[in-house]
Amino acid sequence: MVKVVCDSTADIPEDLTKKYDISIVPLNVIFGTETYRDITDITPDQFYKRLVESKVHPTTSAQSPGYFSELFNKLAKETDEILVITISSKLSATYESAIQAKALVGDICKIEVVDSMQTIGGLGLLVIKAAEAAHGGARLTQIMDMLNSLLARSHAYMVFDTLEYLRKGGRIGRAQALLGGLLKITPVLTLRDGVVTPVQRTRSRVQAIDTLVNLVKSARNIESLIIQHATTPDDLEILAGRLADIYPKEKTFRHTVSPVIGVHVGPHVLAVCFIEGE
Amino acid sequence: MNDANSWNGKDIRDMFAAGSNWMEKSVADINAINVFPVPDGDTGTNMLLTLRSVIEEADRASDTNTGAMTKAMSHGALLGARGNSGVILSQIFRGLARGFDGKSTFNGADWAQAFTQASKTAYEGLSNPVEGTILTVIREAATKAQKVAEKNPDDLIGILQAAVDEARESVGRTPTLLAALMEAGVVDAGGQGLYILLDGALRFLKGELDDLQYRKPQMVNANITATKTFDMVSSEEEEAYGYCTNFLMEGQNLDPEKIRRKLDGKGQSLVVAGDETAVRVHIHTYDPGGILAYATTLGTLHQIQIQNMDDQHVGFKEMQRQKVLPPEIAVIAVAFGDGMIKVYESLGAIIVKGGQTMNPSVKEILAAVEAVDSQKVILLPNNKNIILTVTQIKELTSKEIDVVPTRTLPQGITALLTFNFENSIRENLQAMSEAIKSVKSVEITTAARSTQVSGIKIKQGQAIGIIDDSELVAAGDDVNQVLMESLAKAGAESVELITLYYGNNTKQEQAEDVVTKIKKDYPDKQVELVNGGQPHYFYIVSLE
Repeated sequence: MVKVVCDSTADIPEDLTKKYDISIVPLNVIFGTETYRDITDITPDQFYKRLVESKVHPTTSAQSPGYFSELFNKLAKETDEILVITISSKLSATYESAIQAKALVGDICKIEVVDSMQTIGGLGLLVIKAAEAAHGGARLTQIMDMLNSLLARSHAYMVFDTLEYLRKGGRIGRAQALLGGLLKITPVLTLRDGVVTPVQRTRSRVQAIDTLVNLVKSARNIESLIIQHATTPDDLEILAGRLADIYPKEKTFRHTVSPVIGVHVGPHVLAVCFIEGE
Repeated sequence: MNDANSWNGKDIRDMFAAGSNWMEKSVADINAINVFPVPDGDTGTNMLLTLRSVIEEADRASDTNTGAMTKAMSHGALLGARGNSGVILSQIFRGLARGFDGKSTFNGADWAQAFTQASKTAYEGLSNPVEGTILTVIREAATKAQKVAEKNPDDLIGILQAAVDEARESVGRTPTLLAALMEAGVVDAGGQGLYILLDGALRFLKGELDDLQYRKPQMVNANITATKTFDMVSSEEEEAYGYCTNFLMEGQNLDPEKIRRKLDGKGQSLVVAGDETAVRVHIHTYDPGGILAYATTLGTLHQIQIQNMDDQHVGFKEMQRQKVLPPEIAVIAVAFGDGMIKVYESLGAIIVKGGQTMNPSVKEILAAVEAVDSQKVILLPNNKNIILTVTQIKELTSKEIDVVPTRTLPQGITALLTFNFENSIRENLQAMSEAIKSVKSVEITTAARSTQVSGIKIKQGQAIGIIDDSELVAAGDDVNQVLMESLAKAGAESVELITLYYGNNTKQEQAEDVVTKIKKDYPDKQVELVNGGQPHYFYIVSLE
């Protein structure tokens, strides 16, 4: 069976990680010179508390090629095909790390590394689809074909209270254009070609949630959907309620946004990610 | 340490341990100049953490065998690699290990050869190697090391010295190779880190242990002024570099090398590139006249550009601000009031000045339409009298003109904010026209004459409150009181956001007072106060 590997920014619900035996490679969160492996060493709760309180703004880093190669060597004992799906290479060196690890381990088994051009649920939903297919007996080439068709249909939309975190972390991308405004703006952003891109400027969180709902409404035949937050469960509840008549609530995944992404989006992020039908 | 010309694994370990400690002192400085590929200010930290892992593995390997030692170090780098720079560093150690493979001891030439291998491996490691980075620095340093090694194969210190000197030069050149660095006015952070690492290793070999302990590495400076605002560059003031002078020189038998030598020392950031018939010159100088006078003696000058670099900096900021909307669609708005105009501009609109008492002419609006690069233009008249005027523009230009019939400045702002970057002009027009229905405007101005409207008696000179530029709802002598009454009539209790733009006839304290009052009467609303600076209107309020 194909073994599926992804990074910790994919925010995959734990029960699915177990069910499909997905290997999660943690990125690192760094406060000063203290390094924490995403999720493994620091839980979202601990992290967001510290993010708000800490005077040092944390940074993040990709996992090392060595970590990937050790994982590949371990998995190669159980399988002959490995699929790695990573966070957008425009946001992190994780993809490069995995590619180097693939070169390092040589011909131990067949390994494909895919740059999702996404992160959070936009990446996670792709990983879940791939892992489902692997469990259903699909071979690596079949899953690759499937991913090629899915990549352009996976979308992540996020609401921010402030662009400060994105700016500090250097991932502001095309949302640079939104900086320096004189009015308080609650922007809605997405990832386009793997880069943070503005969708809409709103004046309040309520308007921003309206925008998220409208984006989901205007999508065609949603195949899967995840909603995410960091420290605002009430807003997540509101969003869930608003989406209930567009996509079945019981099939909607829910998850927190991982600390590594939290460094760049801040504690008030709210997100909806989905895969559109063909 | 070892005075003979044969070195072993322990020496390699100690060199890099010293280099790594040396670099640790500069981590913050290296972080501060990190702009490429992602300006996240962590290059120094990532390199240090990677190096620590290298040294940990090296300490564990008791082997004095060079091949075995570098292999252990390479393993440590792989395990500890953090971030982009760390990954490249791990490739460098991998290359070193390859180069020293099977070698128990080494001399200078062996080191140069392994270092060259490190450079090659670093390049191989990237799917898209970019020049002007740590890659360029290691390649140029390795090339230099090889050259010196050919003459003096046993002189490790001499070879490393040459490599370090070249690395320093190479770091200084990185901004000329990579636009992101030039814009930010910095050298490459990864390259800087590698230079300091090698410098530390060299100082250790030369026995400068006191220096290593008590001094701090000398950072290579960019010698250029940033053209782009970059908050993470250390706040240290950069000194002025005068005028950025650029020109193309055409002639015969031109000698770029000679020109470069001649101009060297006349300014900073000198770049002379070209051949016998055409040479391009770039220099930051206090005396552009002197440079041009010299150049005219050699050939004809073309494309002469001289800019005061402080102005350039301001110009770039201005440009950034106007880049908000994608260039295919321009939004032109009629607006007045300094602060109000700034708000519009910060949201990406191009402004034609005018309003209630001074409507812009068709000619003025047409001139603005023709002046923008975009072929598609959305017009926001922001006044009912101007709606008619702008509708005429369609007949007068070949550009595609659409009008969102905004009647007030708050409606215009809402329309601008609704602009969706991903949508077509059709979808945007629809969304913008829809959105302006959701905003209510309240304007507080002065009655031009005494009259009675809708049962309200008004004396000339009193403050009056108007909703959506059509319905007079309150009048009185107390401006703030009229505002509060108007807000109540406009249904302020059922909105989320109240934005107050105060005019140039209203004091800030007075506006702050009324904000306090609004917050008290409408405790769950978000209230924002903006200096609109508009004439005639004490307040323009947006309710949404």
